[in-house]
Amino acid sequence: MECDAFREDLLDVLYGEADPATAHRFNEHQAECAACREEIASFRRLRHDLDGWAVAPKRRLAFPARLRPARWLAAAAGLVAAIGGATVLAKGEIRYPSGQVLLRLAAPAEDAAELRRLLAEQQARHEQAIADLKATAVRPAAAQASLDQEALLAEVRRLLKESETRQAAAFAAGLSGLEERSQAQRRVDMAQMSAGLSYLEGKTGLQTARTTELMGKVLLASQGGR
Amino acid sequence: MRLSDEELVEAFQQGDSSAFDQLVSRWDRKIQGAIYRMVGSGEEARDLCQEAFLKAYRGLSGFKKEARFSSWLYQIAVNVCRDRMRRQRGKTVVSLDELTNAGELPFKGTAPSALELMEAGDLSRTVAAAVASLPDEQREVIVLKEYQDLTFLEIAEALDVPVSTVKTRLYRGLTQLRQRLTRQGIRSATPIPAPTH
Repeated sequence: MECDAFREDLLDVLYGEADPATAHRFNEHQAECAACREEIASFRRLRHDLDGWAVAPKRRLAFPARLRPARWLAAAAGLVAAIGGATVLAKGEIRYPSGQVLLRLAAPAEDAAELRRLLAEQQARHEQAIADLKATAVRPAAAQASLDQEALLAEVRRLLKESETRQAAAFAAGLSGLEERSQAQRRVDMAQMSAGLSYLEGKTGLQTARTTELMGKVLLASQGGR
Repeated sequence: MRLSDEELVEAFQQGDSSAFDQLVSRWDRKIQGAIYRMVGSGEEARDLCQEAFLKAYRGLSGFKKEARFSSWLYQIAVNVCRDRMRRQRGKTVVSLDELTNAGELPFKGTAPSALELMEAGDLSRTVAAAVASLPDEQREVIVLKEYQDLTFLEIAEALDVPVSTVKTRLYRGLTQLRQRLTRQGIRSATPIPAPTH
């Protein structure tokens, strides 16, 4: 039907996703189609009604601590800020020759020594705190996942190797057992065959004797009958 | 500078677990709202939302950049809701106490306007019940389009179906909602005769 062909266009126009060509095509159609004009108007009223579904304010989600940023990172940031701030206040500077942090303070000599000592003590305390926190912090997820995967792969390889070794041993043992069982079965079969032949031989001899006896009786009867 | 979702995903994949927190704070209200409208219970929506984000957390390392993060996240949310629906099939999905045996809201004998219903606090419940009574596929599309304002393409990505399927489900859903609300006497949704071309 003609209007069915415009159904997707109608939805594009209804939700404001129609490109200019689509909008033009649908507008030309609805200019001549009262049913489609009413249809889109009705859907617009419906959308207005649907807005009436109010939702209560939502609470934020609470996630386990391991999903939150590591606390030692915040502590480290605090330490850097503290040292930087103290250095600036003392009109000093921070340099990093050959990987080591050096503080140069521009305060008077007697104050500078005291300040340097205080800073060194503070830095030692913060470094100890960071080391403690690092020891208890969870590794970042990707690094942990990588370690987990490596450990898992190693475990799978070990299990595979053990399985192959067991199978090879079982196969060898199976071959050996099979040969022994075949020999034993062969001996049993030969014995049975021998016993069977002996039985047949015995039975044949008995039947011959009985036949001879019967033939003798038949012969006697026939002679007596004459 | 505000990082994009995809940049945060990349940071997470390179080991910055705090990037995930930013993604959660950026999306949890929207996802929780979508889940609430799909399952109808506030507490359950919160639990399911948490479940969805935990699944996202576990799967984010393997997230491929071909899809938008938001579409991927909505896909997880929809799947969590579907799992819940399967488990609860046959039980009440939303507060449907007012529905009749035929699955319709009882006709009240009057024809209040949407404004009157809203003033009485009934419109919200009436619309919620009407949306809850839709088939799952139609309800998902209605929720994502009407209440999450996703584009047709984003919905298609989230549901892993063609855009044309999204539009078909949406059209049927809107038509059913119009019928159901009209039976409730909401005048603004008064139906019109179907096109007869």
